Amino acid sequence: MKPLSVRIGGFGGQGIILTAIILGTAAVKKGNLYAVQTQSYGSEARGGECQAELIISDKPINSPTTEYKDIFVALFQSALDKYLITLKKKGTLIVDPKLVTKIPSIEANIYQVPATETAIKLGNRIAANMVVLGFLQKFIKMISKEDLREVITSMVPKKFIDINLKAFDAGVHFAEDLEITMEDIG
Amino acid sequence: MNKNIKHEGRRIKSGIHFILGNYAVVEGALAAGCNYFAGYPITPANEISELMSKRLPEVGGIFVQGEDELFSIYSVISASLAGAKSMTATASAGFNYMQEGIGYASAVEVPCVIIDVQRCRGENFATQADVMQMRWGASGDYESIVLAPSSAQELFDFTILAFNLAEEFRNPVIVMSETTIALMRERVEIPEKESIEIYKRMYTSLTPEEYLPFKAKNNSPPEFAPMGKGYHTLYTLNYRNEDGTMDWDAQGYKKLYQRITGKISENKDKICITESYFLNDADAVIIAYGSEVRPALDAIEMARNDGLKIGMLKLITVWPIHENLIKEIAKNIRRIFVVEMNIGKYAKEIERLCLPFCPVTNITKNMGIIHTKEEIYAAIKEAW
Repeated sequence: MKPLSVRIGGFGGQGIILTAIILGTAAVKKGNLYAVQTQSYGSEARGGECQAELIISDKPINSPTTEYKDIFVALFQSALDKYLITLKKKGTLIVDPKLVTKIPSIEANIYQVPATETAIKLGNRIAANMVVLGFLQKFIKMISKEDLREVITSMVPKKFIDINLKAFDAGVHFAEDLEITMEDIG
Repeated sequence: MNKNIKHEGRRIKSGIHFILGNYAVVEGALAAGCNYFAGYPITPANEISELMSKRLPEVGGIFVQGEDELFSIYSVISASLAGAKSMTATASAGFNYMQEGIGYASAVEVPCVIIDVQRCRGENFATQADVMQMRWGASGDYESIVLAPSSAQELFDFTILAFNLAEEFRNPVIVMSETTIALMRERVEIPEKESIEIYKRMYTSLTPEEYLPFKAKNNSPPEFAPMGKGYHTLYTLNYRNEDGTMDWDAQGYKKLYQRITGKISENKDKICITESYFLNDADAVIIAYGSEVRPALDAIEMARNDGLKIGMLKLITVWPIHENLIKEIAKNIRRIFVVEMNIGKYAKEIERLCLPFCPVTNITKNMGIIHTKEEIYAAIKEAW
């Protein structure tokens, strides 16, 4: 397989790094693949800029970052503005329309996932990242929904497992009718 | 120590993990038998202390958050003398403070492991700028053993290796970590306990009356005596004779430091570990260490796809430097490239060895971020 590179960007407290860790953990521990995850964030507990990068491959990964990403998930306008330039031409852009309102016209497959709105309806806006993860799963074929559900269950605090899984399932549902081929990803 | 034997089973977490490089250090240390850790908070090394504070008590070890770096290094030295396998972790600015202790540990021949997660001055960005400080950062004569991991897996593997080399040569061993790999999550395979080799400390068979604490064969460390069993040794930084007394003796001083440095420099075959890539048909060779090995390997793939025959010597042991091997390589190729993340420090050492035989081109990046493969390949093409 071709290595797949993903960037998730937003602000601190959205669970951006956790989302990348869950994906990486599922890839390595369930899929027996290789993954490298890096991040950068401000010193604030909530509110500072935050982004995570993940590369998944069936072979050991040398360079820990890639210049251009196959998939970019933007969960805040400033993250989109800053990192859109690092999305591959014809790559996949996933945004939360509540938090990203201005998307320049670009050559990319753009998906709008109402993650925050869905999470609020489910009872806690903090689970928006799981909606995104459920949606993202459709694009990362080597990791199954079941594996991700297991990893979520093992990694989030007990009292939040239920809402996180519900949010994840909602994200899976949003992607259900999409027909995605590897060419669509980039 | 190790009273909680029932928890020993938690020491080695065999299996496949997706963990932070800093966590891999902790798991490696525990697998090597570490049972004492002291450290003072500093980014980007904090996750080492954080996990140690949780994991060490689980296996009956002792974790201490020191009041500063000096306490940390000296308590690690003391714990080692008392029989523990001990370690500290810090980052560049904190590593400065530890030099005095490292000099002392080298002079009195105490095994211990120091992790330096290099960072840019005052910032958490990636660098390899401490590479020369790791060699001779302290005053006085000594030789360092420094290992440079390039991944979370190697942080695990080389931390074990560091403990083993420290015990075998009775010398501090520094693991040269970097922000890049320390704060990266990666696949780490922790083997079964049985397949992890551990060097066990040997103690003297002599009685306290016969035992001379600093008597040793040429280029070898002396034998340890167990603490609290009637052997009295003064571990002083000052010159001491073989019996441990402190009368100045110029010839003895010369001999002592010949042995302390010789046990490292004359055992390079054992200590210097390298990995070679495509050296057989190489016209030019990259020399790299630490995380920079990774984009360098990708750059080699790009170069080879374009027909440029380039190979790589990856230095696992950065100090002592593998002089003979590097000279031999330089004799048979057209050019050496040194890839590093600083102003070009190790390159000067490579120049010293290689310039009589071939030109050396320095590929440096000093911007708080690792090279991309494209940057390395562009520099190769420019000099080719």
